[in-house]
Amino acid sequence: MNHVLGFSVFGVDWEFLKPFIVIGLAFGGVYALSGVGLVVLYRATGVLNLAFGAIGAAGALIAYYLLNHTGCPEWLAFSICVAFGGVVNLAYGMVFGPAFARRDPLVKMMGTLALALILLGLMAWRAPAGGAFARFLPLPSTQVHYDIFGTIVSLTQIISIALAFVLTAAASIFLRVTKLGTAMRALANDREITATLGVPVRRVEAAAWFGSGIACGAAGLILPDLLTSLDYSALTFLVIASLAAALIGRLQSLWATMFGGLAVGLAQSVLSPYSSVSNYRSAAPFVLAIAALLYLSRRRVVTISRAGT
Amino acid sequence: MRSRKIKIGVAVAAAGVLALILTTTAAVGSRNAAPIGSGKASATHSICGLGTGKKATGSGIKIGGIDMLIPGVDFTTIGKTAAAYFDCVNDNGGINNHPIHYILYNEQLNPAQEAALARKLIQSDKVVGVVGNTSFAECGTNWKYYKSKGYVVIGAGVQAECYSTPSFAEVNSGPRYSNVGAAQALVKAGITKLAIASPDTISAYADGGPALVAQKAGIPYKIFPTHLPVTDATSQLIQMYQFAGNGGGILLDFTPDTAPAFMKAAEAQGIVDKVKWGSSTPIANTFMSSQFSPAFDGQLYIDNEFSNVDPKVGPDSALMFQVIAKYTHPTIAPQAFAQMGFLDGMFATHALLSIKGPITAKSYNAAVVALKDQKTDILCKPFYVGNLPYHIPNNTNIIVDYKAGNVVVRSGCTDFQAVDPAITQTRIWEKKYHLNG
Repeated sequence: MNHVLGFSVFGVDWEFLKPFIVIGLAFGGVYALSGVGLVVLYRATGVLNLAFGAIGAAGALIAYYLLNHTGCPEWLAFSICVAFGGVVNLAYGMVFGPAFARRDPLVKMMGTLALALILLGLMAWRAPAGGAFARFLPLPSTQVHYDIFGTIVSLTQIISIALAFVLTAAASIFLRVTKLGTAMRALANDREITATLGVPVRRVEAAAWFGSGIACGAAGLILPDLLTSLDYSALTFLVIASLAAALIGRLQSLWATMFGGLAVGLAQSVLSPYSSVSNYRSAAPFVLAIAALLYLSRRRVVTISRAGT
Repeated sequence: MRSRKIKIGVAVAAAGVLALILTTTAAVGSRNAAPIGSGKASATHSICGLGTGKKATGSGIKIGGIDMLIPGVDFTTIGKTAAAYFDCVNDNGGINNHPIHYILYNEQLNPAQEAALARKLIQSDKVVGVVGNTSFAECGTNWKYYKSKGYVVIGAGVQAECYSTPSFAEVNSGPRYSNVGAAQALVKAGITKLAIASPDTISAYADGGPALVAQKAGIPYKIFPTHLPVTDATSQLIQMYQFAGNGGGILLDFTPDTAPAFMKAAEAQGIVDKVKWGSSTPIANTFMSSQFSPAFDGQLYIDNEFSNVDPKVGPDSALMFQVIAKYTHPTIAPQAFAQMGFLDGMFATHALLSIKGPITAKSYNAAVVALKDQKTDILCKPFYVGNLPYHIPNNTNIIVDYKAGNVVVRSGCTDFQAVDPAITQTRIWEKKYHLNG
């Protein structure tokens, strides 16, 4: 690492900065993935799901248990992790969705906070951290590395970034082209009128809960590998960065959310070598979100609550 | 007729053999059934307390402890292992037939909570002694209170006050001196730069020691205070590597909850063999070595404040493995924190057994102060307390490494560098008052 300096970015050698860009984009990919899931769910149901991180963490812990305490093959454990996100999200949506349907968005959000706290408590109870034990959930892709422009990049990091793009593109196309997607967009505009027009609201909402849960499960699977530890509290608070990404997308735009997620990850990581601001990196998600909201609200009023729902 | 005699003879012989087998089996069985920690103490056999093998049935003696539990650091293993040792003592006659009732509280790095728990132990629970405490901040919070009440805590220290006030006699060296030992080994191994990381709450104290070692050796160093729980191990590790450079040293001072994230990141970044790795004691156990061997084999310079975690080291180590297996939850693994808790329990029991007359807070704490020359195979030098303004009895460590899934000794017992005047003074007191032989 004793490089000859090429050029520097605000006093940090570009060669030194490159690995942080890769790490940041990989984390950003996960934030984008879960941010897009949050936005899709919000657009269809009006619920801002704060339990996103906790559901992903619980799925990851289940996969860890299956891999380390049973003879479960990797592919099955990883699939269960992803499916768990979909199933729990769907179950919550089906049980509590109708009850909260006519309530204020804040009440809906608090319901998901309760789910997050319950899951966090269950994880602390059944899988306490500490002692001589540290948990890992490495993906096979971690073993595959590429040297790209002198920086080591793992396949997991590439998957994380690629998955964010693929999911965002797929969700955009789905919402624009398919009948179900059109119904979701209609729900986002006006739930009452959509229902009056004969759209099966419950079924459309169920699809949104399940789909966003799958994104949440995928994020829960990738993040422990990027973190190099399965820390369920860190995973649970993944939702903070994802929420910032969703706010950058004004809870509407999937592509803005995706780029917002990447920007959040990048900012958090790239600030690491700058010792004067390094300690404040954790504030990066909301600084970016506030900056984006201020910029975007220059010409219009930003509304993050859904009137009439 | 002859055939019948032969049959009878065979039957008698078979019965004899059977009786012999049964007798032998019974003898072996009864030996195996002997309670753990019972018997007579010898150079090859350690016991719990009196070693009578009979449960103590008298009135209880209350002892208390406070351990920190926060995300990323779990010190409760220490109190739990001390409790296990006391359970073993209670199954072996207790303290002259009085069982030890150990009360263990957890705290979350909260000074108000630490102060309240110390007062609860002493004023409400009325414990005669405080044993097994470990925390990032409890020594600083409570040392004046313990002093005012005449209590001397046998525990495992972390922060400066644990080693600079009269209220604590810690069985471990603590992170500062463990890091000093690791830095000393790295310097000896020829590193060119040193990057040091500890949890931010103890960084100034814990990292200050190895920084002095590097400074005295003329080696550039940089400290990376780390906020727990670690959420970006890879980013921090890259920063440390970028500073240390190839041929440099990276010193990690974390518990087994946190250190693995950095070590996994090092594997993922392909830098394991590009630097030399130092560490304080907590990762010197087979649970860690089995996860990071062979990747880290031959790369590590871990300062171990205790003997290798191996039942074959000596009778105390063997007893510790038995006590952990019988009296603790399966999640408690034999490791440095277990060694600390075991020693805390053992020395507190020795103090209790040395008391002639009623066991009170005054008599117990006087017995603690009188402890000296406490030999054990778990420490390089005998433990002591003594009437001193501060105690650093564990000032001689070993250096270990990983090899084929095990922890192996690189170099035996060595005094760590006297970077602080307190270490020099401690060694003077040891000789002057004959505290450890």
